[in-house]
Amino acid sequence: MGAASLLDVRNLTLDYRTAGGWLNVVNGVSFALEAGEAFGLVGESGCGKSTTAYALLGYRKPNSRLRTGSVYLAGEDLFALSVTELQRVRGSRVALVPQNPTTALSPGIRIGQQITETMRAHNIGTNDVARDARMLELLGRVWLPDPVRTAQKYPHQLSGGQQQRVVIALALACDPELIVLDEPTTGLDVTTQAQILALLSELRREQRMTMVYVTHNMGVVAAICDRVGVMYAGQLIEDAPADVLFRAPRHPYTRGLIDSVPGLQQPKRGRSIFMRGLLDRNALPNGCQFAPRCTFALESCFINPQRLEIIDDTHEVACERNSEIANLVAAQPPVEIVYTDAAGARTDAPLLTLENVSLGYGRGGLFANAQRLIVRDVTLEIRPGETYALVGESGSGKSTIARAIAGLNPLSGGAIQFGGVPLPSRVQGRSRETRRAIQLIFQNPDASLNPRQTVTQIIGRPLEMFFRLRGTELRERVASLLADVRLTPAYADRYPAQLSGGERQRVAIARALAAQPRLLLCDEILSALDASVQADILDLLRDLQARTGIAYLFISHDLAVVRALADRVGVLYRGVLCEAGQVEEVYTPPFHPYTEMLLSAVPEIGKTKLRTIVRSDASLSSSFNARGCPFADRCPRRISGVCETTPPPLRRVSETHALLCHIPLEELRNIVPDPIDTP
Amino acid sequence: MTAVPVPVAPIRSRRSFLRRRLPTTFVLGSIILLFHIVVAITGPLWSPYTFNKVGTGKPFENASTAHLFGTDGLGRDVFSRVVYGAPTVLILATTSTAIGVVLGSFIGLLSGYLGGWFDEVLMRIFDALISIPFLILALLIISAAGATAAGSPSLLIGVVAFIYTPRIARMARAVALDLVTRDFITAARARGDSAWSIVIREMLPNTTGTLLVEFAVRAGYAPILIGSLGFLGFGIRPPNPEWGLMISENRSAITTAPITVFGPVLVLASLVIGLNLFSDGLARLLGRSAQFGAQ
Repeated sequence: MGAASLLDVRNLTLDYRTAGGWLNVVNGVSFALEAGEAFGLVGESGCGKSTTAYALLGYRKPNSRLRTGSVYLAGEDLFALSVTELQRVRGSRVALVPQNPTTALSPGIRIGQQITETMRAHNIGTNDVARDARMLELLGRVWLPDPVRTAQKYPHQLSGGQQQRVVIALALACDPELIVLDEPTTGLDVTTQAQILALLSELRREQRMTMVYVTHNMGVVAAICDRVGVMYAGQLIEDAPADVLFRAPRHPYTRGLIDSVPGLQQPKRGRSIFMRGLLDRNALPNGCQFAPRCTFALESCFINPQRLEIIDDTHEVACERNSEIANLVAAQPPVEIVYTDAAGARTDAPLLTLENVSLGYGRGGLFANAQRLIVRDVTLEIRPGETYALVGESGSGKSTIARAIAGLNPLSGGAIQFGGVPLPSRVQGRSRETRRAIQLIFQNPDASLNPRQTVTQIIGRPLEMFFRLRGTELRERVASLLADVRLTPAYADRYPAQLSGGERQRVAIARALAAQPRLLLCDEILSALDASVQADILDLLRDLQARTGIAYLFISHDLAVVRALADRVGVLYRGVLCEAGQVEEVYTPPFHPYTEMLLSAVPEIGKTKLRTIVRSDASLSSSFNARGCPFADRCPRRISGVCETTPPPLRRVSETHALLCHIPLEELRNIVPDPIDTP
Repeated sequence: MTAVPVPVAPIRSRRSFLRRRLPTTFVLGSIILLFHIVVAITGPLWSPYTFNKVGTGKPFENASTAHLFGTDGLGRDVFSRVVYGAPTVLILATTSTAIGVVLGSFIGLLSGYLGGWFDEVLMRIFDALISIPFLILALLIISAAGATAAGSPSLLIGVVAFIYTPRIARMARAVALDLVTRDFITAARARGDSAWSIVIREMLPNTTGTLLVEFAVRAGYAPILIGSLGFLGFGIRPPNPEWGLMISENRSAITTAPITVFGPVLVLASLVIGLNLFSDGLARLLGRSAQFGAQ
């Protein structure tokens, strides 16, 4: 951290202007980077990491101010530069890879042109020919197939993963000294994410790229960062090399964060005991910001502001009690909370059965030709009180299945039975009892609550509708439902705009529970939430299931979360159920090749090696391979000639575990995935 | 490298956005409107003459201290007639717009929600109605209503409401199309809520802001509409002091006693401007509250 640092952030303090005055968002953040280092900036949403990242470009939002501090890039103070000088720095010396690639690219300009435009603006390349050549080389370097044709395309003609790679190419165009990446893989599938991470690793190795990587995903950080800075409520509270941080975190928040992340190989587990509640910005003490949530907090913690102190050569922590806590934790390992199933909930009769269900676009009937089916021939069953997880990438049809069960999508084939009785495919055709018994929760907490209704009105509607509750009775029931989702009655009169994402999702869960359903369809309900909030809600879901015996159809693309919650799993690829079985069975060999790919793509703490995935993308052309295996074109283990033409046979691994593959079971059993290093 | 801790400032209430200055246009518009309303209510108390007192002066006199806007062809004081005519235009404009907005929003929301054939057919009918110039449409309807009905305020209200309904419906439908994609509507459908229940309970509260502004904008235009009909002789019958009618009656004296024409013109214009400013200010105010409230 001497004068030779490429990037030197000193005491950066930024405020946002809000209706109520100046709100401090970044509080005295300091760190330095050498050339070639990859620094990960982690924290929950709202902790100020994105603001800090953008400050590295000398950028701050219009309604903000730099109260104090500075950002030095190779000795130059970025905030002291004029606008013209900054324009020269941005793009050529510091580049940004923003979160959403779709909005980062101009929709009306071809890809190649956008890249050469950047080069031209910074006077890279002597003429157009040279620039075009370099542009094509860049596109190839980011693993885009057929650079010449891709360069002619418009952004909307590319997939999300391809768009993000174009953005990375844009960032690399002028050979910058520093690249800032703001959650670049959020919103991408896990396999696409793995590709991007592998690409970034390779670029780092080859080009000695200096990187600042902002994310809330600890697994990703573990995969590609050398050093990690953990932020909480605007402060940098721990700064350490990645392996040290994950092996021996010293700040209680870091511990809590790491413990919140479910692991792929860990069985259902209770949540961390080191951290409780949520960040409440209105109640921050003068001392340590984390104290209200810290289980180790003492009086002194609330009063004394914490500063970053060096505890090892490279490890800094902002916690005066860190060594005591380390000893406390070593002496007493965290308690595992075990959930007992509600007595008698697991009977043999299935609650929900899907038999050869096919779903298509449009209103059934007319559009049900095989080419346009989203879901093909799916058979599964869910027993009362169990959690069935449906795993797959976007476009696999899992949301469509949930909607069909909820009565919002007509069937193009097959039948659904609920409680032993055929289920009418439309909501209108169903009895009130049935409508009550199946409830749906959505992914996006912002869109799933009516912004003009109070929490009481939102939760009260199903109560009013299904149980005819009114007045005080209704309010009492709402209060008890709020308590069930661990919210205080004070929330009853709030509007969704006054709640955080996690709180909104809980209200959505409470609304679903109000109807006292037997089956809860959870459509990616955790994807939009931070790790610690996810852990809380997972805990809540497990608790509810144990108490009430409710069944869940849990849809997710996050395999680690599924591992933590599900009893049985179904893996869906392009509308076909490739593998299904008990969760332990599916997560261990023999794997369907797609399952194998998914599992190896999940970045995990402790997994220091990222397997290089097959570089081919999910092809955008959605012409179904109606005859053979849907996975044939991407499968690394495909048997050419067989897999593309004949449908794969059903292989029974056990009474509860089956998969569709041409490869014989013995061969699949012998495939050992790359070893996962355990910490 | 130690970080100097900076104390975090406490956050004051979010309600303080109201304490900040209201938009200028809103204030200005409200003042003008208030003025018009006060005049409309109290006018008969202090106006120098009644609206139908003939012979208060020579016909088509110019402006003077006795007759601020001069006199019309029958020697009636134009200023007093303007004052007496104020409530007419205010009530007609606001009532007809209100009816148009209410009908239009319900129909539009329902159509947007249901989609399909109903929506298509209805919107094409509305498109046809909108494409007919409103004045011609109004004249057609009034003529069709017959001689006895013509001139009645209810007919005028009905006509203006009829003209506004399709336009408002289109707006409301646009809002509905956006709302329909949101998950909370899907949740309501999955519960089995009826279309009507969804429109009223879920969608309507989300459109009040837009509709309020629509109302203000349309109400700003309604006086022109009514005035135009009055000018053409298809509005309120004489001797009622309707401003459009007065402008038409006095136009023969436009060169000799221009104030008798321009007096009502300017007053009408001021009402329209006031309403426009008010609606603009309202839009800003609501837009601003949406920006801060949603945090």
